[in-house]
Amino acid sequence: MDDRRRRFEAQALPHLDAAYNLARWLSRSPTDADDIVQDAMLRAFRAFDGFRGGDVKAWLLTIVRNCWASAGAASRRRGHTSLEDETLVAGEADPEQTAMRAGTRRRLDQMIAALPEEFREVLILREMEDMSYREIADITGTPIGTVMSRLARARAMLRETAKACL
Amino acid sequence: MSCKESLQTQSYLDGELAGADAMAAERHLESCAECQAVAADTADLSDGLRKLTRYRAPDTLRHRLTKHLDRETRHSPVHSFWLGAASGGGLSALAAGFALFVLLPPSAATLAQSVVDAHAAALTGGKTIMVASNNHHTVKPWLAAHAGISPPVTDFAQNGFVLTGGRTDEVAGHPAAVAVYAHGNHEMDLFAWPDHGAPLPQAGISRGFRTTFWKSGDLDFAAVSDVDAAAFQEFVSLAQNHRE
Repeated sequence: MDDRRRRFEAQALPHLDAAYNLARWLSRSPTDADDIVQDAMLRAFRAFDGFRGGDVKAWLLTIVRNCWASAGAASRRRGHTSLEDETLVAGEADPEQTAMRAGTRRRLDQMIAALPEEFREVLILREMEDMSYREIADITGTPIGTVMSRLARARAMLRETAKACL
Repeated sequence: MSCKESLQTQSYLDGELAGADAMAAERHLESCAECQAVAADTADLSDGLRKLTRYRAPDTLRHRLTKHLDRETRHSPVHSFWLGAASGGGLSALAAGFALFVLLPPSAATLAQSVVDAHAAALTGGKTIMVASNNHHTVKPWLAAHAGISPPVTDFAQNGFVLTGGRTDEVAGHPAAVAVYAHGNHEMDLFAWPDHGAPLPQAGISRGFRTTFWKSGDLDFAAVSDVDAAAFQEFVSLAQNHRE
């Protein structure tokens, strides 16, 4: 097999779920997330010979984030579908627990969806992808101080919404 | 109403501070009721987010991507190398390669790469677990029977590292037993293989995955995951200090 292909499959593809999760949360749409990730992965593959060291995951997420940003506001604002047919990682056998989780999930989903984009992206990168402030600053192209204040603001908004919902 | 130290407290709780800064933030947190309240609410929020809301790439996307990559590479599909190797002269070259691995103790760099490769390959293939169980009485004998290696296996669920199962794998050509843990939506692999006297690599980050190696008894161990530094360190120290 082609050497670049082999390296790409070994180094970049393990982060496909992280790429998809970010795209899904940023775009709010399964269809858009599919397109964004496919576009991002092919770009990453074409650029992979030029990638020298560093963190592959952060590099991939940067490309995903840029693909989403360039996909344009029009498609981004398209209505998003409900969570019913989604590929969330969950799957409890107990129906009562499943129903409870589905309720909480939907509420959390709506809360995050309601966040302005610049707050949503830092929250997802920190809370779901465990990226450091430095990495988030690099991925989103914002100063590290701005990352910190946006993260604090995003968390405050979610805490307030959570309280209002309960 | 907002405490002027709140951003510093947040940095501390996110594991972004070290040394004197971390100690100062810790002292402030001990005495500031507002920061304590925010810290508790934020921890609840993080728990909720980590448990409930991660999407996985659909299989249709994976398949489409493979097709596109095939087209981009303009070579035959992924499996051709292995088919070619199995059907002809490639096989002996392959066997010779493995023989070298077996005869020579692998270098530290080879070990580090091999462990990350194995972890990444398991994640990519979606096959991290061959025996699914949170019971160490199930996982440990399974590993002993299938990998011929019997490392200590413990569920660290109380500390947030839930034993989800085990698998057999290879590290630098040697069979290894892997205990698999979940931390939030991240997966952690704990590799164990018989000590061959090879030097172990330093802890590090490779391709987005943290690794730490250590020896205990007649086994070598490696922990691999993409969790944050603080959680990774906690997991390693639990695994290192664990006694059955």
